[in-house]
Amino acid sequence: MGSSDLELANNFDYQKEFGKNLKILPTNDQVKELQTILRDRNTSRSDFKFYADRLIRLVIEESLNQLPFTDCKVTTPTGATYDGLKYRSGNCGVSIVRSGEAMEQGLRDCCRSIRIGKILVESDADTHEARVVYARFPENIARRQVLLMYPIMSTGNTVAQAVNVLKEHGVKEDCIILSNLFCTPLAAKTVMDSFPKMKILTSELHPVAPNHFGQKYFGTD
Amino acid sequence: MAAKINNFDPPSSASSDSDGGETQADFSEVFPDVDGEEERSGDFYNTPASPITVPYCPRPPSTGSQKSPRARRQRTTSINQSSKKTAAESVLRTQHRTIYTAGRPPWYNSAGQQVEPFVIGICGGSASGKTTVAAKIIAALDMPWVTLLSMDSFYKVLNEKQHELADNNEYNFDHPDAFDFDILLLTLQRLKEGRKVEVPIYNFVTHARETRTKTMYGANVIIFEGILAFYNPKLLSMLDMKIFVDTDADIRLARRLKRDISQRGRDLDGVIKQYTKMVQPSFNHYIAPLMAHADIIVPRGGENEVAIQLIVQHVHAQLQLRGFKIREELAHSYVGQPLPDTVHLLPTTPQIRGLHTFIRNKDTPRDEFIFYSKRLIRLVIEYTLSLMAFVEKTVETPQGVLYNGKRMATDKICGVSILRAGETMEQAVCDVYKDIRIGKILIQTNFHTGEPELFYLRLPKDIKDYKVILMDATVATGAAAMMAIRVLLDHDVPEENILIVSLLMAESGVHSIAYAFPKVQIVTSAIDPEINDKFYVLPGIGNFGDRYFGTEPSEE
Repeated sequence: MGSSDLELANNFDYQKEFGKNLKILPTNDQVKELQTILRDRNTSRSDFKFYADRLIRLVIEESLNQLPFTDCKVTTPTGATYDGLKYRSGNCGVSIVRSGEAMEQGLRDCCRSIRIGKILVESDADTHEARVVYARFPENIARRQVLLMYPIMSTGNTVAQAVNVLKEHGVKEDCIILSNLFCTPLAAKTVMDSFPKMKILTSELHPVAPNHFGQKYFGTD
Repeated sequence: MAAKINNFDPPSSASSDSDGGETQADFSEVFPDVDGEEERSGDFYNTPASPITVPYCPRPPSTGSQKSPRARRQRTTSINQSSKKTAAESVLRTQHRTIYTAGRPPWYNSAGQQVEPFVIGICGGSASGKTTVAAKIIAALDMPWVTLLSMDSFYKVLNEKQHELADNNEYNFDHPDAFDFDILLLTLQRLKEGRKVEVPIYNFVTHARETRTKTMYGANVIIFEGILAFYNPKLLSMLDMKIFVDTDADIRLARRLKRDISQRGRDLDGVIKQYTKMVQPSFNHYIAPLMAHADIIVPRGGENEVAIQLIVQHVHAQLQLRGFKIREELAHSYVGQPLPDTVHLLPTTPQIRGLHTFIRNKDTPRDEFIFYSKRLIRLVIEYTLSLMAFVEKTVETPQGVLYNGKRMATDKICGVSILRAGETMEQAVCDVYKDIRIGKILIQTNFHTGEPELFYLRLPKDIKDYKVILMDATVATGAAAMMAIRVLLDHDVPEENILIVSLLMAESGVHSIAYAFPKVQIVTSAIDPEINDKFYVLPGIGNFGDRYFGTEPSEE
């Protein structure tokens, strides 16, 4: 248990360092197990996809918690009143090709008819410089809350480019929520420094990013 | 104890009553008829309305030679004169719904503790009418769940020499040495504790126990009958009421003659010789003296309506004293106390509240209801898995560094759903846990009494070794959940291995479960304060199963 306390403390430190807009999925043993399986080099591909999908679902559910809502009252079948809440409409998802697409299904499973845009960012293998080569968004994206999906961040360059494109399309910085599975402190710092109003939700901050994610998930390794 | 009982009879891979790998309550209605057991095969285990479980118990060939040895039977069978009637009465059809009204009622008190069942012993000579008396008592008791255990299941396995004797009609089946009292004692003791037992099936052709066994469960009333039911002092001490059926020797002989000649194809001389040489002396020597132990002696057997009336009255009074009345008692206790430590409430995030808003709203259309319930269920199940035990584990990563992670400490997790609403949660457990085994328990509320009743159960084999995720969509009074937990305990699942998982619980239900089973972990996404007089949670969801499956009664 000592180590998990330490982790909590670490997470707390990260929050202090990167500001309140960096959020980490509330960690528990179960989440830790999912991360362990995904990082284990001996995990089979079918297991990898299965557990990745589970972790994605948890991250997506938690990302949706960041969306704005209003209070409302409903009547239950027993005739009593329940004080609930209602999400505002006008949200959309944007996935960064290719690994971000792995998270689309998780979003679909939670929001059946949500609009999903795509961005293709290519990064130079040597310089790690990223440039956008394709982008297709839903109409009126400027007025929407955007759930940006990208599972692995090691430098943060790709995401930074994607956010730039979104901003060019009129999306407000504080309307962007990045859903992410694994993030390095370096990437978190890069992105938070450039876009302080954007929210990032990740499941883990760790100096080593599991860069094999896309290849193993899609089976192209 | 279970292991000990199972020892003598290793499970077979062949078709068996325990059904190769799973245990099941067999709800066959069975009454071995006095005048020879007319065989009817029947696989009624999922017929909801059949009240009595009895082991397979053919009569021993105590007289004469058997010209046509009977093939072994596949299932608990025999006739039940009231089977049609019971089936019809136990189903109530209103305009749009079918309600079953006969299952196993609670066999524990409101604190979840086992209440000692009432054990009736019936002793008497061969063909004296013990089974008829038992059947009449069961019918008159009007109890939905009675267990009838017959001594005939406990004949000893014969060795070769004894087998030969038996073939020549020289083995005395009426002698105390013919019975295996050790196993009989263990079995009855376990039944008395409300546990599951495997009753041996004795094959009278091979004079050995079959590899199959018959699964029986304890009940509020257990009837034990046999020619030497009062012979063993330890056995005698377990009986709450002792009945001796005293029928004239000539009537008994006449019944035997009729049975053995007309139904077993034996000749008159053989039957009479056997009777005079073995049956009658054994009766005089061993059985008749047992009459001294009886509380009640019933002359003329089953025809004696007055005696049966008296017996039934006494049993009813005793059962009331022991207190079998659950639900109402549960609904009104523990109001306003702090929540117990075993309760794990999901952190109430905006998403959880948003999902609750959808599924609680009475105007939510069904497809949305199903969709949002599923999302909520998934979160609840994920949270449940996080409560399991984990161990530290370091793994190698493709990046070449080691990663200090965790893995679940056990891979033995199974799900058990409480039908019908709990079934809606099965998909989610399967989605988060690969190849998980799923058991099912059907518990319905009795339309008249408001009490939960157990109708059907099917659990993974060796469930005692598993962590069990017990699922029900809502918990109001906790009566059904407690019955399900009790079933698991009766199957030797340790209390601390059980997690009861639900979308919504009422506060009083949480307290009742936690009080009765302090080691059971309770997981839910919301706890509501009240229960109305129909035992629905307030503000609640309404009838979750009806809304999910679309079976709600149409509006007037």
